[in-house]
Amino acid sequence: MNTLDPHTWLAEHGDYLFRVARRALHSDELAEDAVQEALLAAWSARERYAGEASPRTWLTGILKHKIVDTIRRRVREVEIPRDAEGEEAVDSLFQQDGHWAEPPRPWGNPQTEMALSQLRRVLDECADNLKPVMAQVFSLREVAGMETQDICKELGITPTNCWVLLHRARLFMRECLELNGFSKVAAA
Amino acid sequence: MKWTVTCKENTELSSRSMDERLPLAERLAMTIHMAICRNCARFMKQLHAMRRLIQMDTTLDDASPGLTPESRQRIETELQKKLDT
Repeated sequence: MNTLDPHTWLAEHGDYLFRVARRALHSDELAEDAVQEALLAAWSARERYAGEASPRTWLTGILKHKIVDTIRRRVREVEIPRDAEGEEAVDSLFQQDGHWAEPPRPWGNPQTEMALSQLRRVLDECADNLKPVMAQVFSLREVAGMETQDICKELGITPTNCWVLLHRARLFMRECLELNGFSKVAAA
Repeated sequence: MKWTVTCKENTELSSRSMDERLPLAERLAMTIHMAICRNCARFMKQLHAMRRLIQMDTTLDDASPGLTPESRQRIETELQKKLDT
């Protein structure tokens, strides 16, 4: 049976929780706030801890709710469908008639640990460069693996808005990955 | 839904197909398009490659930066306040 000792939370799980939050929120500040909120909430909810999960698993579960809360607040601040800038950026990837302006180039097929971890770093950097809300929805879907219908429900946006955001995020990510080395690794 | 889609429209369908099962008409339009368009077939493959790469690395105790001493201190203070009440 596990027990909770809040005095060890930061020392033992602080960095881990911060990385989880950082990868979903793409902002050091927001990630710090989410970790803090999660730990305070965990202390308030300590009586509900049954001791079955490890403290880290339990804290991570609470943190995930805080992450979704954070993104929900930020989605409200941004008018997604009226984001003309994002629409223009998508348009610029295609010709007037809908053909690719710059067709996707072949990517390599890296197998070594080193190549993979390097690409993972490029991926994180590209995700950090997306517009915040877009990066956050993309991470909920791809990193956290949430279903789109749950994302919509949690964030209070329509499925169409969700698809628009994910479509744009994927187009921009693909573009960014290609420009930053994905097509240069030894092609298989 | 039209039977022929442009590359741009096809990327919308491809993206959505990563999130849910497309309705039949959309699925057909996408399949037909990708059968004749190498660029879009490649795009779809790359979306899957991107997802695989993201999911491959779920371990977080790696070299990526953790909390800064300042952040740690701030949270410590708040948590202690809460513990004291």
